[in-house]
Amino acid sequence: MASVARTRRLLRWVGNGLLVVMLVWTLVPFYWMLATSFKKDREIYGFEATLIPRHPTLDSYRRVFVQTPFVKYLRNSTIVAVGTTAGSLVLGCLGAYALARLRFRGRGIIARGLIFTYLVPPALLFIPLFAVMSFLALTDTREGLILVYLGFTVPFCTWLLLGYFRSVPFELEEAALVDGCSRLGALVRVILPMSLPALAVVAFFSFTQAWNEFIYANVLVNSVEARTITTGLTLFIVEDVFFWGPMMAAACLATLPPVMLYLAFQRWVVKGLTLGAVKG
Amino acid sequence: MKDRTATRRQVLKAAGVAVTAAASPWWLVRTSHAQRAKKIVFWHVPNFTPLADELQKQQVYEFAKQAGVKEAEVEYAVVANEQFQAKLAAAIEAGNPPDVTRLYESNVQYYASNGHLLDVNDIVEKMRREPKGIFESALASVIYKGRAMGVPLAVNPWPVHARLDLLEQARLEYPKTWDEFIETSKKIQSPPRLFAFGMCLGLVEDTTDNVMNLLWCYGGKMVEADNRTVVMNSPENAAGVKVIEAMFKTHKIIPPGAISWDNSGNNKAYQSKQAAFVMNPSSIYAYLDGNDKDLQKVTGLFPVPAGPKGTVNQIDTWAYGAFKKNPYPELARGLLDYFMQPANYDKIIQSTGGRWVPVYKRLFDSPFWRERPAFKHFIQMAETGVPVSYAGAPTPAAGEVLNTQLVPKMIQRVLVENWEAARALDECHKKIAEVYARYAKG
Amino acid sequence: MPLQAQTTDLRSGAVLADRAPAAPRRGLSTTLRREGRLAYAILTPSLLVMLCLVVYPFFAAIFLSMQDKMVGAAGHFVGFANYLELFRDDVFQRTAWNSVVYTVVAVAIKFVIGLTMALVLDQERRFNNIFRTLLFLPWAVPVVIVTLNWRWIYDDLSGFLNNFLITFHITHDIISWLSDPRLAMACVIAVVVWAGTPFYAMTFLAGLQSIAKELYEAAEIDGASLIQQFFYITVPRLQTIFITTVMLSTIWTATNLTFVLILTRGGPASRTDIFPHLAYQVALGARRLGMGAAVSLVFFPVLAVFIVFLTRRMLRERED
Repeated sequence: MASVARTRRLLRWVGNGLLVVMLVWTLVPFYWMLATSFKKDREIYGFEATLIPRHPTLDSYRRVFVQTPFVKYLRNSTIVAVGTTAGSLVLGCLGAYALARLRFRGRGIIARGLIFTYLVPPALLFIPLFAVMSFLALTDTREGLILVYLGFTVPFCTWLLLGYFRSVPFELEEAALVDGCSRLGALVRVILPMSLPALAVVAFFSFTQAWNEFIYANVLVNSVEARTITTGLTLFIVEDVFFWGPMMAAACLATLPPVMLYLAFQRWVVKGLTLGAVKG
Repeated sequence: MKDRTATRRQVLKAAGVAVTAAASPWWLVRTSHAQRAKKIVFWHVPNFTPLADELQKQQVYEFAKQAGVKEAEVEYAVVANEQFQAKLAAAIEAGNPPDVTRLYESNVQYYASNGHLLDVNDIVEKMRREPKGIFESALASVIYKGRAMGVPLAVNPWPVHARLDLLEQARLEYPKTWDEFIETSKKIQSPPRLFAFGMCLGLVEDTTDNVMNLLWCYGGKMVEADNRTVVMNSPENAAGVKVIEAMFKTHKIIPPGAISWDNSGNNKAYQSKQAAFVMNPSSIYAYLDGNDKDLQKVTGLFPVPAGPKGTVNQIDTWAYGAFKKNPYPELARGLLDYFMQPANYDKIIQSTGGRWVPVYKRLFDSPFWRERPAFKHFIQMAETGVPVSYAGAPTPAAGEVLNTQLVPKMIQRVLVENWEAARALDECHKKIAEVYARYAKG
Repeated sequence: MPLQAQTTDLRSGAVLADRAPAAPRRGLSTTLRREGRLAYAILTPSLLVMLCLVVYPFFAAIFLSMQDKMVGAAGHFVGFANYLELFRDDVFQRTAWNSVVYTVVAVAIKFVIGLTMALVLDQERRFNNIFRTLLFLPWAVPVVIVTLNWRWIYDDLSGFLNNFLITFHITHDIISWLSDPRLAMACVIAVVVWAGTPFYAMTFLAGLQSIAKELYEAAEIDGASLIQQFFYITVPRLQTIFITTVMLSTIWTATNLTFVLILTRGGPASRTDIFPHLAYQVALGARRLGMGAAVSLVFFPVLAVFIVFLTRRMLRERED
């Protein structure tokens, strides 16, 4: 007994030590990004570079807004992310309801197909996607991006909600159906209100996937009117050869929305990730 | 009774959903087609000359106004140099290329051969009719099957930017040969803060330019003038590669980080005083004009040092291309014409501070060129310079060799993986030959 | 409405028919047909999206890999010529080796650090919530931003690492992190680990927290040491999560080209070139779309094994 207690105390110290190391490892890059965004050009480059900004300035931020179409990129990213989220919610809920509650032929195949398509990696598909997107005349548009993103958010969200819907007891729905509610009505009136945490998770995942996505955004969209932040950042080599200041400023700004969402939703997100993966 | 009504409503609702779902793609397609509201789409590739960039942008909007196009109907998109090749390829494949953009060397040939470019022969003919005409060497990359498919806009020599103050301090002259260059370098450098030779060695286009330029001085080249016979594994090339190897490993006059530089690596190195000699188009010189006059004062532009086979300098040519897939081709051609009107063109040339050597010979007679000592050698370099595909022309095959970094990979085999020069050149030769063979077939 | 007795569990829905209110009047088959129609009506949009954006492109990729198609030009069928050229080229060997090393090492390190992180966060201490939030933060940041930031950190002349090391006199010379062939792959993997570990830690932590404390207490009473507790209680219960997480992460890590594209472009001397990046450069840099498709398909069979496995697992979890 005593040795276990001693081991526990030792482990506690080890744990705290590891925690410190991991915190430093995790937070230093954030610090560097922030610090660079507040430094003058002179402090950024060459051997006069500093670890702590000595003359903090907002000039990099100013340049981001004045010299680049960053605001447009922000707008586009927001539209695409919100659109993707809306689409994922609607299609995910409908699909999950059908798979969870309705009985029909091909249910198993469709469920398997959904997961399979989610797992096929985008790096494989971007080459043939040109043909599809240009046939639909959706290249260079935000709608096109939304559609492409739905390709991987919908299966994931359907799967996530499927597990959740299955765990909602049928009695309540049944009662609604008895009262003359339609199936879809039951979905909206009974199941959804009980699934708010899962819906929050779906919204979070869809939003961040769409906001953070790079490959398709880079390859399918060129027009400034439709460019998102992720592409925009890499195209950030403006007139200057020395662009790290404004780029880090833009990076800080672009990181805020997903980080804030994460902070708001984190409790549910972790639970959502592990729905079904956890067996108590 | 209640059940049946409920059921029918269900089915109707479901049918409604299905119809909307089925109809939505067509709706999306229709609204997207309506979206080509832009009448002029211009892709700008920044090239370290902010004044010229700004002027060019102004000219695009000036032309638009003149042609009755509203500002909101113009799209002026900036595309970073590093990504331009891939993005243009993606846009062409997706069916929405820009209307006008700047095309580098062999890209005109590639896209012309696939029928993507507008014929602009008349515009080029008009340019040739100007008094004194244009540098005919600029036409090599834009003429396809006898017609001009691009409008040449600049001829760019690649001089050596040299720190005159460091040379003076060490009481040395600018080296005339590569051997002298190595000795001089060792004397003026003070690593790790200052290396002498900022040679670009990363997996980017500038490396091919830097490496080939040195190999030419040793009598080597990539392909013969017939554009078919690849000669990459020649002993002359091996001699040149060995020199680079010695510079990097033995004499250590090249910063080790050059292996991962991108195209702006050597610019940055010179501009932040961490390299003394850099082979690069005069964008660095032009940058200093606006940002560091002190450094500019002590910067000289020289031809490349001589090897056993003499001095050979590089030039590259730029051209504007107009793409066929454009609902407003007349506007695109009008824009090109506007750019190349000598008055407009000269404004930009002057603002590039020597970065662009004008295509119109007459503009060389201006005081700007004749009176600056830095440009003393420039005009001769423009007349005698050769493209990176020397001794061949900038064909699509040469373009692919450049795009796939075959030469940088070769030099990295030697410098990073310690391969014998001959072995690395052999591998490179095979790959280049494969590329040329593929284009010869199709 | 008389309701049938419930005979099976709630989640499978398999006996829905018996409980549907309309069943007694209309008959089982009609109800099923109606449900079927409704289901397909509801699923149509999702299925359309899947078909257009995943199924069709997947088969198009296969077809494309057997053509010599270049950007902006029509392609001709060439059978397996692309694959043959790829296998003959030693680029293939090098890329395959890089891809394997990159994926295996990154996943292994993420697993170890992720598990450690989860175990540490499972310990009781004050402010654990805050620590957890901070440690999981990298997961929310777009990968592009992570990569650009780290490229800047690794910058040889002005980056954080060299700056720090020289300022504190740990080294005298600058280290060219991304140019040194011995260091480049490790540096790239470090970024992959930084960005991807929170995912592991998150799922592992959730798993750890779902294990009833009573089990540990009981084991301790029976005299089990901490190590024994870990291996006999913790690990078996986390097995499912371990496997699912590792498989998912393997697929994602192996097919991610953003890290390599922005950090090293495959260098130095192709030391960090992996399959998805090679496919991108071949397709858009060399403008050979057919060949690019071949490159990306070449490693798909390996991934397909994971995908099929994972599909079955993820579905089974839903059906239990």
